[in-house]
Amino acid sequence: MLNTGGLSLDQAPPIRVPFAFFLAAPLFAILAGGFLLWQGNLALLTRWSPAALAVTHLIALGFLTQVMCGALFQMLPVLAGARVAAVTRVAPLVQGCLVTGTLSLSGGLYWGGALWLVVGAVLLSCALLIFIGAAGLALARARGVPRTLQAMRLALLALLMTLLLGGLLVAVLLGAPIGGFTHWVDLHLGWGLLGWVGMLVMGVGYQVVPMFHVTPAYPPWLTRAAAPLVFAGLLVATGLTLTGSAVPAAWGFGVSVSGLVLFAVVTLILQRRRERPRLDVTLIYWWTAMLAALAAALVWALDGRVEPIGVLLLIGVGIGLPSGMLLKIMPFLSWFHLQHRQVTTRRFDVRLPYMQVFIPERLARIQFGVFLGALLVTVAAAGWPVSGWGAWLARLGGLGLVVSSVLLWWLQAGCVWRYREISRRLG
Amino acid sequence: MDNAASLPMTQVKEPPRGDSQNPAIPIHQASDTSMASIITDAFTQDHHACDHRLAAAEACVGRGDWSDIGTAAEALVSAMNRHFDAEEQTLFPRLAEIYRVAANPIEVMLSEHAQMRVLFEDLTEAVGRQDRDTCLGILETLHFLTQQHNSKEECVLYPMADGALKTQAGEIADLLAHG
Repeated sequence: MLNTGGLSLDQAPPIRVPFAFFLAAPLFAILAGGFLLWQGNLALLTRWSPAALAVTHLIALGFLTQVMCGALFQMLPVLAGARVAAVTRVAPLVQGCLVTGTLSLSGGLYWGGALWLVVGAVLLSCALLIFIGAAGLALARARGVPRTLQAMRLALLALLMTLLLGGLLVAVLLGAPIGGFTHWVDLHLGWGLLGWVGMLVMGVGYQVVPMFHVTPAYPPWLTRAAAPLVFAGLLVATGLTLTGSAVPAAWGFGVSVSGLVLFAVVTLILQRRRERPRLDVTLIYWWTAMLAALAAALVWALDGRVEPIGVLLLIGVGIGLPSGMLLKIMPFLSWFHLQHRQVTTRRFDVRLPYMQVFIPERLARIQFGVFLGALLVTVAAAGWPVSGWGAWLARLGGLGLVVSSVLLWWLQAGCVWRYREISRRLG
Repeated sequence: MDNAASLPMTQVKEPPRGDSQNPAIPIHQASDTSMASIITDAFTQDHHACDHRLAAAEACVGRGDWSDIGTAAEALVSAMNRHFDAEEQTLFPRLAEIYRVAANPIEVMLSEHAQMRVLFEDLTEAVGRQDRDTCLGILETLHFLTQQHNSKEECVLYPMADGALKTQAGEIADLLAHG
C-alpha cells in the first residue's frame, strides 16, 4: 500500500512566520538580563524570590518556548508532509498570547498581582494549547525517523504537563487549598526543564548533530532509550508525589537526568568525531550547552545549591542552544528563499551573497564570547550569592546577558535587513 | 515572500553515517525491508559519499593548499553531478511514469538540483581565483542546501521509488555503483 496523501515537499510556511518568533525571543532575554542587573543577587539568593521566578519565566517562555514555537511551525509541515492549517493566522495568535501571557505572568510573579497572574495563566494556556494542538496533530500524522518523532511527541506531552502543573501552582498562589506546594513546583520544573526542553533538544539533536557537522549517527541504543527514560522518570516522580510515597520524587528525576546525561556525553563524543573541520559558532554553542547540562547534573547529584543548576539549564542550555541554532538557521532560510525567488523571477543579474554574509561569523563569535562570560559570571554569582562579590557578580552577569542578547538581536535584524534588501532587488 | 524553504533542522532524516539501521519506510509498508529498500539504501549511501567529499573539500580549503582544493572540488562536483544524472535521467522519470503524485516532489527536487548547480559553478570560479572566504561560504551554503534536499529524498521519494519500481530497483541502484 502506498500512502501518498499530502505528498508535497513545498509546504513550509512563509519565512515571516518563523522569523517573527525568532526576532521577538532575544527581547525577553534582554528583559531577563535587565532584571538581574536591577535586582543583583536578590534574583539568585533563592529560587523562591519574586525576581528569580520572573527571570525564570521570561527565559523559559519568552525566549526558549518562543524560539521552539517558531522552529516547530517551520518544521511541522515538513515532518507531517502537510501544511499546518491556516498557519499564517494560527502562528500570530499563538505568538500574541505567548508574548502577552509571559509578560503578564512574570509581572504577576514579581509584583504579586492576582489579576496579572490570572491573565498570564489564561493567555499562556491559550497560546500553548493551540500550539500543542497544532503541533500534536501534525506530529501524530508525521512520517519520518521514528526516534526523532518519538522524542518530539514526548516533549509535547511534557509541555502539556508543565502547563497543567503551572495552572495548579497559580491556583495555589491565588489561595486554593492544595498542600505540598514545593513538590508541585519541583514537578513543574522537572516536566519543563527535563521534559519539554530536554526531550526536544534530543529530538532536534538526533537530526541536526549528524547533519550540521557530518558526525557519525547517534547509536540506536541511545535513540531508543534516552527520551523514554526521561519520560518514564518524570512519570515515576509524578506518581510518587501524587501517592505521597515515602520514596522521594528525586528517584524519578534521577532516572530522567541519567537519560539527559547519556545524550549530552554521546553528543560531545560524536561532535569530536565530526568530518567537517570548521569550528563554527553553532558547534561551540552546542558544546557549551552540553557541558552546562552535564555541570547542572553534577551539581544536582552532589546535592548542591539549586540556583546554579537553574542558571546552567536556563541560560546555558535554554538561551545558548537556540542562539547557536538561530545563527545558522536564519542565514540558511534567507539564502534559500532568495535563491528560490531568483529562479522564479529569473533575475540572475542580482548576485546573491552566501550564508555567512547574512550573519558574519566574526560578529557571531563576539556575541558568543559575551554570552559565555555572562553565563560563567552568573553561575558564580548563583553558586556563592552571599560572598562580598555576589551582588556585583550578579549585576555583571545580568549586564552580560543584556549585551549578548542585544548583539544576538542585532545580528538577526541584520540578517532580516539583508534578506529584505535583496528581496526588493529581485522584484 | 515566497514559501519554498524548509529548515535543515526540520527535516526528517536518518542519521547520515555509520548506522546500519534501515531508514524508516513510512510510505511503502513492505514486509521484506531488505528487498524493499534497495533504492533508498543505494542512493542514501551515495549521499553520504558526497557528504564525505564536501567535508574533504572544506578541510583542503582550511589548509589552504590550492592544488588539493582544485582536485577535491572537482571530485565533489563530479560525484554530485553523477548522482543527479542517475536521478534525473532514470529514477525520477520512471517513478513519475508510475505515480503521477510524485510529479510535485520531483519538480521541487529538480529545482534544488538547479540551485546546487549554480553553486558548483560559483565554486569552480572561486577556486580559480583562489578566494578562500568565498570557497568556504559556498561550501557551507552547499552543505546546508544538500542536507535538507537529501532528507526529503531519503524520507519521501526513495521509499516511494522502492515501492513503485520493485523489479527495476537493482538495475537503478547499479547506476551509482558503475556510474
